[in-house]
Amino acid sequence: MPKANPAARFAVYALLVGLGGLFGVPLLWLLVTSLKPVEQTMSNPPTWLPYAHYSEIGGKRVDVVLDARVTEPSVLVEDVATGRRDLRPVGSVAADNPTLRVVGMAEPGWWLVTERNPAAVGSRPIREVLPPEAIESRVQFRWQNYPEALAAMRGSPPDVPGVPPRKPNPEQDAGFPQFFLNTVIVCVLGVIGAVLSNALVAYGFARLRWPGRDVFFAITLATMMVPFPVLMVPLYGVFKNLGWIGTLLPLWAPAWFGGAFNIFLMRQFFRTIPEELSEAARIDGASEWRIFWTVILPLSKPVLAVVALFHFLFAWNDFLGPLLFLTRRQTYTLALALQQYQSQQGGVQWHYLMAASAVVILPVIVLFFLAQKTFVQGIATTGSKG
Amino acid sequence: MKSAARRRVLAGLGFTSPWIIGLATFTLYPVLASLYFSFCDYSILQQPVWIGLENYQRLAGDEVFWIALRNTAVYAALAVPLGVIASLGLALLLNCNVRGLPIFRTLFYLPSIVPVVASSMLWLWIFNGEYGLLNASLAPLFALWGGAPPAWLGDPAWAKPALVLMSLWGVGNSMVIYLAGLQDVPRELYESAELDGVGVWRRFWHVTLPMISPVVYFNFIMGFIGAMQIFTQAFILSAAANNGDGTLGSPARSTLFYTIHLYSTAFQDLRMGYASAMAWVFFLIIAGLTWAANAVAERRVHYSS
Amino acid sequence: MPPGDFSSRIPLAIRRVGLVAALVLSGLAVSCRPAESDGRIQLSYWEKWTGAEAAAMQATVDAFNASQDRIRVNLVTTSQVDRKLLVATAGGDPPDVAGLWLASVASFADRGALLPLDDFMRADGVEPYVWLERYTPVYATMGQHGGRTFGLPTTGTAVALHWNKALFREVGLDPERPPRTLAELEEFSRRLTKRDPATGAITQMGFLPQEPPWFLWAQPLWFGGHYFDESGEIAIASDPQSVAGYEWLREQSREYGLADVQRFMSGFGPFASSQSPFFSGKVAMVFQGVWLNNFARQYAPALEYGVAPWPTVTGDPFALTEADMVVIPRGTKHPEASWEFVQYLASNNPLARTRAELQGIEIVCYLQEKTSPLRDWSPFFTEHHPHPLIAFFRELESSPGAVHAPASGVWQEYSRELATASERIRLLEATPERALGQVQARMTTAWSLHRTSLERQRRAADAENSSNEPTIQP
Repeated sequence: MPKANPAARFAVYALLVGLGGLFGVPLLWLLVTSLKPVEQTMSNPPTWLPYAHYSEIGGKRVDVVLDARVTEPSVLVEDVATGRRDLRPVGSVAADNPTLRVVGMAEPGWWLVTERNPAAVGSRPIREVLPPEAIESRVQFRWQNYPEALAAMRGSPPDVPGVPPRKPNPEQDAGFPQFFLNTVIVCVLGVIGAVLSNALVAYGFARLRWPGRDVFFAITLATMMVPFPVLMVPLYGVFKNLGWIGTLLPLWAPAWFGGAFNIFLMRQFFRTIPEELSEAARIDGASEWRIFWTVILPLSKPVLAVVALFHFLFAWNDFLGPLLFLTRRQTYTLALALQQYQSQQGGVQWHYLMAASAVVILPVIVLFFLAQKTFVQGIATTGSKG
Repeated sequence: MKSAARRRVLAGLGFTSPWIIGLATFTLYPVLASLYFSFCDYSILQQPVWIGLENYQRLAGDEVFWIALRNTAVYAALAVPLGVIASLGLALLLNCNVRGLPIFRTLFYLPSIVPVVASSMLWLWIFNGEYGLLNASLAPLFALWGGAPPAWLGDPAWAKPALVLMSLWGVGNSMVIYLAGLQDVPRELYESAELDGVGVWRRFWHVTLPMISPVVYFNFIMGFIGAMQIFTQAFILSAAANNGDGTLGSPARSTLFYTIHLYSTAFQDLRMGYASAMAWVFFLIIAGLTWAANAVAERRVHYSS
Repeated sequence: MPPGDFSSRIPLAIRRVGLVAALVLSGLAVSCRPAESDGRIQLSYWEKWTGAEAAAMQATVDAFNASQDRIRVNLVTTSQVDRKLLVATAGGDPPDVAGLWLASVASFADRGALLPLDDFMRADGVEPYVWLERYTPVYATMGQHGGRTFGLPTTGTAVALHWNKALFREVGLDPERPPRTLAELEEFSRRLTKRDPATGAITQMGFLPQEPPWFLWAQPLWFGGHYFDESGEIAIASDPQSVAGYEWLREQSREYGLADVQRFMSGFGPFASSQSPFFSGKVAMVFQGVWLNNFARQYAPALEYGVAPWPTVTGDPFALTEADMVVIPRGTKHPEASWEFVQYLASNNPLARTRAELQGIEIVCYLQEKTSPLRDWSPFFTEHHPHPLIAFFRELESSPGAVHAPASGVWQEYSRELATASERIRLLEATPERALGQVQARMTTAWSLHRTSLERQRRAADAENSSNEPTIQP
């Protein structure tokens, strides 16, 4: 681009920063939400930082939740029978009310607070009204949301104290570590298969001359046009007959048999390698396999890396495949497990859902920063060669 | 000679053998089986029974089929052009010789590799009508003329735009493709255009766009095929919006896209024959539209070499 | 070849292509199922609930495992169990026993996905109708379809009006006096609805028909209407009571302003949380099942509420009942063992006087704090039930007004159509006449196709193997 005037340059940067903010904010919001206590996720207007509030109640320092801001002069009343405490406007409770006992007074601007984690299980949390100056607030990230959210993805109900732990039940006990492992298996085996098989097939198309090759290659390209929904129903039957339903095989094994797009990508690359290299090896008596393995592959690392990377991303992100073909909990991949976690009966809370999502996203982001160059070059290649 | 020819064929078949098996098992057989099933009453639990054209005839009169088709068309008509504009726009900005290019590129690109399931969860939260970030930001704007921002995923009129918005967040991938295309445009072309005193807008229209038209075409086709097959986001967002009562495409079928309807017909109602007929109609529609786009491209797209 | 094998009707030419490839691939197929062997038959049981309710079922499963030494049931919580179960059964890898929604049972049966339980009952020397007499009448018919039994209720509930007494008190309503008629419900609802004086936004509502959205399909039943007419054909658009039920839904949206309601609703938290609208005091009256008490204790210990029958529309009592259903999927490798577990879930210890003596169905019902579908309750279960108002629910279920969703092979689809229609109606996207007219048209087609399909499958099965037991229910 030619040199532009300063005003135009300023406009370009302003746009970039503004749009960059728009693109970045959702992920930041995910991170912030994942580190909040639950009641602060649902606040209006939303807050950007998680706070913890502490107060001295009855001589001890208590982690409290701010339930409500007092808006009119009120009294804190306690139900004599149940011990339940609530705010009532001053004058609304008769002094001789037999069921309600006044235990505190509050001015507007005070807070009704509840203890966050009662010390004893099953005990009623402390509930008080406090003036703002009695509450100490500070920014505190709740990192424990992460282990709690991941633990909640496990199917088994927590063990009951006093009851001996039951026999292990692999299907039910499967939790985050199992889902992570499954995803890694699907990704790694899929990547190995995709790289090897596509390279092999692409070699056959790019570097060997044989009758029928071009027709076959044309058919290969044509299959790229077939949308997955067309294959969905019969594929289910194929995997069923192979006995693969309920295992991870449908998610990685097909990668070992090539894919049209990757074959095409590799073939384009292989064709740019000078034919003389192969000829020289042939004259030395090398077999085609040897040429493929020792001459072509070492020169093709960039395209192999691109195929590996894209297959990894595909496998990590795939949702429809697992949704269709996985029937057993212990075979769930992270993508499916996350959705099942979100759609479980009773729902899931936002801070946990965001924490679990962040964990699913993190490996992809790490991978991006490790292999940034391959990403950018790979995408550029797929685009321009298409 | 003859044996040499045979050896060549054997070598060729040998190297492509994984693909021969893969193509037959995972593509050709399913395509043919799907075609066969589309003429059957078939539930996978029971045997396929040949019923001729009945599935196709029923499709024509199936209101929900048309709703799904229309939803998909509306979504694609919004998402594809907007996606092309957004990604090309970002690429043009980044191509302005800016400092800090890698940082901006990363910022724009990262969302496109976020797993769709996870980004769906994130947008589910952002689109929340009451506590969502989007409405919190929009509320003051709407308050100016006394309105309130829409409930997005809860509102049939806004659920599709919400999904389009979400798709725009993921344009980073095509942006990188455009950027590579833009960087391949020979510098001399710009320089000579500048010498001729051509303005920025005309330069873009007469130099840049023709030069990158193959890339635009590629992105357009990929975007179109992707948009027509939208599934995961819509599946998750609509399932979440209705408390899981098994109705996909809520609210009020506004996000019942073709693939969602197909999935539900096949795997929820186990009407595999009918679903196969739907799949084939879908196949023909996509193939037809791609062919039409190709025909237009033949005349408009400028291939340099 | 077993019925349902996908390749059996595919032309040979196509089959050959697949077969060669399949043979090569099957060499690769390895099962990743872990070998769990303690000498017992291992059964996999899929449970749809999570959290405390799954823990309750787990305790029941543990008790069953401890009660004998030949069978071990492994419980697995499975979200979206209906979808998963169908796909797994179709894939030849079903669980041995599953907990299913009532609405799914008949549909699954017609698809050939469930084993009828009558043969097991007869094999035990009991005629099914005698066997089923153990249940309260409304529950005895729940798993019945086409003259056979495909599922049995494991936990019961009547759905009742729950109201927040504190909110009643606040607006000067008698906290002990729930609305008894539709007119009263409307009036109370108006009084209990509050708006932000500055913005006009709704901050509290008296009653919101779609909170929770689980029972909107029952609108016709509540208003005294029918889903099918006497001849078994779809009747919804032509049924004045059904139309009236959905008209009322639309009136609610109109009265409170659709946009305001939508915005108000998007602030609702999930049901199992303190942010759920009833627990957080955003909605004062809801239709909920007996289970609410269990969740209230956990998420809203300060909540003070009462229960009453649904306000009457027709003047007659109305009590919608629901149940979790246990089924045996077709394709289980251990039908006999599965039946034994199902039987355990259909029995109790009638003499139980302590918590430890509870058996079978009463364990799960006690822990989930629901009613037992059995006629006879043990002394402990009756007297020490954790729900203080359990007797009210028991009475409601035995009342003449007790009804449940119809058992029909198209009910799952029908209820889904109704859910979509009620959504469109309350969003003012379509008039009740139009939305229900479309349901009527679609379901009439679906219903006739369903019957045609059953007939076709029956004939195909007969032709295939006349000695085979027909797989489908006419």
